[in-house]
Amino acid sequence: MFDFVLKIALLGASVSMIGFLYRLIKGPSVPDRVIALDAMGINLIAIVALASIVMDTGAYLEAILLLGILSFIGTVAFAKFLEKGEIIEDDRNR
Amino acid sequence: MSFQILLNVILAVTWMFLKNEFDGSTFIIGYVLGLCIMFVFRRFFKDRFYLNRVIAVFRLLLLFARELISSNISVLKIVLKPKLDMRPGIFAFETVLRKDWEITVLSNLITLTPGTLVVDISADNRILYIHAMDIADKADAVHSIKHTFEKAIMEVSK
Amino acid sequence: MTAIVEILSALFLLMGVFLFLVSAFGIIRLPDVYTRNHAASKSSTLGILFILIGTLLYFFHEHGHVDFRIVLAILFIFMTSPVAGHLINRSAYHSGVKMWDRSVQDDLKKGR
Repeated sequence: MFDFVLKIALLGASVSMIGFLYRLIKGPSVPDRVIALDAMGINLIAIVALASIVMDTGAYLEAILLLGILSFIGTVAFAKFLEKGEIIEDDRNR
Repeated sequence: MSFQILLNVILAVTWMFLKNEFDGSTFIIGYVLGLCIMFVFRRFFKDRFYLNRVIAVFRLLLLFARELISSNISVLKIVLKPKLDMRPGIFAFETVLRKDWEITVLSNLITLTPGTLVVDISADNRILYIHAMDIADKADAVHSIKHTFEKAIMEVSK
Repeated sequence: MTAIVEILSALFLLMGVFLFLVSAFGIIRLPDVYTRNHAASKSSTLGILFILIGTLLYFFHEHGHVDFRIVLAILFIFMTSPVAGHLINRSAYHSGVKMWDRSVQDDLKKGR
């Protein structure tokens, strides 16, 4: 019973991943793609959590933390780049 | 002063979480490491924090969780409706909060409220520009922001 | 007892996956960046919250102790997700992405 639920959940996560991938490839503007990329990062966290249940090990839980941090930093860097044209501003002596 | 002590305890607890060991020695190691980090960042601290704020913070967190769930239900309804008949728009909202962290918390809460999302803040930190999924319930959103969130945040900061 | 925990955990996982599917559907279907961001930044947050709670319950009843790395992940995602959504929205507005042509109001344009 629980294995069946796990399979359904993994299937659903993969299908939504395909949806995000569609928007990532097609998206008319760059912010569309960044949104899709951010959502894909969060979806990847879900898939890692489900995989760690399937394999019955807690070893992948650090990967969840790292993926969360990396996807957030990637989104922030992209947003800043889109807005200002550079990621690390040199405005210390303004 | 007490704020810095609390921050130090939080750093120590985070260290315990990361190690996944919960005994006294881990706490002490985390406390010392947190002390080192706070020593490096010491010029960013101002003296603030009183202990009776903790309860207000917890109430704010509870509000946060409740709003997240209700916002999801309303977005779900709009997404799953067979016809896309919402009327999105950006409206201006004037806030009475002044400190930077208060405005940060307020905009985080607004972002998690039903169908509203902060787009920008005016240069003098007075007006929040909020994108609403459906401009028809703008009055509702403004009312809930004014009477729930701003009040809860002021409870914490007063 | 174990059956109850297992059913609860399965329920949380299914709800989380359902929210992910809705979020993907919304991202495909909604007309412009700003409305898509609503779907992405909210449904995904609650979805990952449910899935991580389900994982927490499963490990709790399998290994007998709460794994605090998952709690840490939940807290972190809760704090960062609205910030990320706001930043993308703002950069989209400032880089001049058009709003949907049925949008009715734009106070930000008046304000500057």
